[in-house]
Amino acid sequence: MWTISKLTFKEIISKRIFLITIIMTLVFLALYGTAIYFAGKEGTQVGPNGVQGTETILVQQFISSQLLGVGLYFSSFITALLAILSSVSAISGEVSSHQIDTWLMRPISRAQFVWGKFVGLALIMIAYAVVLFFSIILLHQGIGKEWMELDIQPMQMIKAVSVFVIQPFVLIAFGLLLSTRMTTLNAGIVSIVLYGAAFIGGFIEQFGALIEKAALVNIGVITSLIFPIDSMYRKMTMILFDSIDNPLSLAQGGMFTSVSNPSNVMVWYAVVYGIVVVFLSIYSFKKRDV
Amino acid sequence: MNVIQTNSLTKTYNGKGGISDVTLSVGEGIVYGFLGPNGSGKSTFVRTLLGLLQPTSGEGYILGEPIGTTKSREKVGYLPELFRYPDWLTGKQLLEAHAELCKIPVRQRKKRIEEVVELVGMTGREKGRISGFSKGMSQRIGLACAILNDPKVVFLDEPTSALDPIGRKDVRDLMLYLRDQGKTVFLNSHLLYEVESVCDHVSIVHQGDMIVQGPWRELMMIEAQIEIVTDQPISVPMPTFVTHVEKIKEEEARTRWGIQLENEDDIPKIIQYLSSNGIALYEVKPITPHLEDVFMHWVNQKKESAYVDH
Repeated sequence: MWTISKLTFKEIISKRIFLITIIMTLVFLALYGTAIYFAGKEGTQVGPNGVQGTETILVQQFISSQLLGVGLYFSSFITALLAILSSVSAISGEVSSHQIDTWLMRPISRAQFVWGKFVGLALIMIAYAVVLFFSIILLHQGIGKEWMELDIQPMQMIKAVSVFVIQPFVLIAFGLLLSTRMTTLNAGIVSIVLYGAAFIGGFIEQFGALIEKAALVNIGVITSLIFPIDSMYRKMTMILFDSIDNPLSLAQGGMFTSVSNPSNVMVWYAVVYGIVVVFLSIYSFKKRDV
Repeated sequence: MNVIQTNSLTKTYNGKGGISDVTLSVGEGIVYGFLGPNGSGKSTFVRTLLGLLQPTSGEGYILGEPIGTTKSREKVGYLPELFRYPDWLTGKQLLEAHAELCKIPVRQRKKRIEEVVELVGMTGREKGRISGFSKGMSQRIGLACAILNDPKVVFLDEPTSALDPIGRKDVRDLMLYLRDQGKTVFLNSHLLYEVESVCDHVSIVHQGDMIVQGPWRELMMIEAQIEIVTDQPISVPMPTFVTHVEKIKEEEARTRWGIQLENEDDIPKIIQYLSSNGIALYEVKPITPHLEDVFMHWVNQKKESAYVDH
């Protein structure tokens, strides 16, 4: 299994698209850092004579959390897309090119092959998600100076990043499942459509919570049960922006954070969901012709 | 012990194509040819044996282990017909990955890789990226992969398809080398001369059916044919074991005849018969049938028996 994981890991790193991804991520981080820098610089001028009243603090909290939210939302989006694109071809690509033949004729089981692929992909995508997450936090808290800085405790960050990485974990498992049965193109389309549906479901849930409509919230919950992606992002923001010491923190989340708070059970559901989907991938791949 | 054993092994795709009802036994230390035209089901058969395809029915064993199990693939090597290797790896990295999958002890890996690279004539070129390899080089590195784990049985599916004449000879020599080492080589090929030059036993497959199998020498003996040269016409009535007599050529005072007999044992009989009837024989030459004729003979015979069966 580890040999397949190592090969999967190496394969992604050796491809030109990986280099392009790294460069584009650096470009994104540079742009984000620039935006934070100017927002922080301009922000310090808010308030008469530098004196910060309640209103100024509220504005500061709102803008700051919005900027952090948008950074994390875009990071979540990039990570999700990369997780989908890398996983949907993981098996189908090798089957169509017949590269898989020489691996599978070795004394390894199909289950080991799928696990190997999953672990390799998950390791690299989780590492990418963690680096991106902390880069955004560091840029925001560091470059933004005092005016942009939010009260986020280290433990909050650790908890938040742990939930943040569940998204690529689930998406890789799901992409792999589709890859055992479908062509790369079909698997990619299905994954992206479901990702979009989860996003819309999450949006409907937020909207329902805001206007207190249980039916809309339920739609979001059902979508999360079918594809627990958006709820993980929402949970992550709740963990990150929710500070017991700061009564204003939760209220300042805005559109890139969350109004409703997915439960801890939902987090565990997503983890179990991912693992079950990997087992389904193994089952699906076990008896198919390659 | 049979290295490969199948009992009515069948693999069809929704009831069509593939290969049906193959029962064969392949012994140790031989080169076994699986001969048939393109699309006859040869690759399907090998891929089923290796667990890449699920059999529709029947059963098979490699080294006594049921096909599809990891154990059945422990001492097996395979060069696929559609060989494609990860082009982002170097030849050496590919071999290292396979060595790891085959659980070759770390200490022995380097030495073993060097050995197989040398055997396939790739020394010095194994460090290049596969993406830069020619088709022939890829096939050679594929061969190195196939024999890396010192397998007891090696499946080679059209192993010379991408090679030049020198490469083909090298592969034939390699097959014979493996046989001499006590390995079994299962050769899938549509090239009659390739099968003839290295195979001890042969199965002929056509349109998904196994037509005949046996030692190649025996399969070649589809008919006994001789050429004789006489100084007079053959005017005596021919015995019943002579199936056909044909004048081939007049050569000044002599005539060359082609005589077809029922079987090889009839050759001394016809010589004796003609001599005893006063026909002087200046030359007697047994004729080896063309490979294509042998192949078509067995294919046609199967068709005829199918016609009778119906």
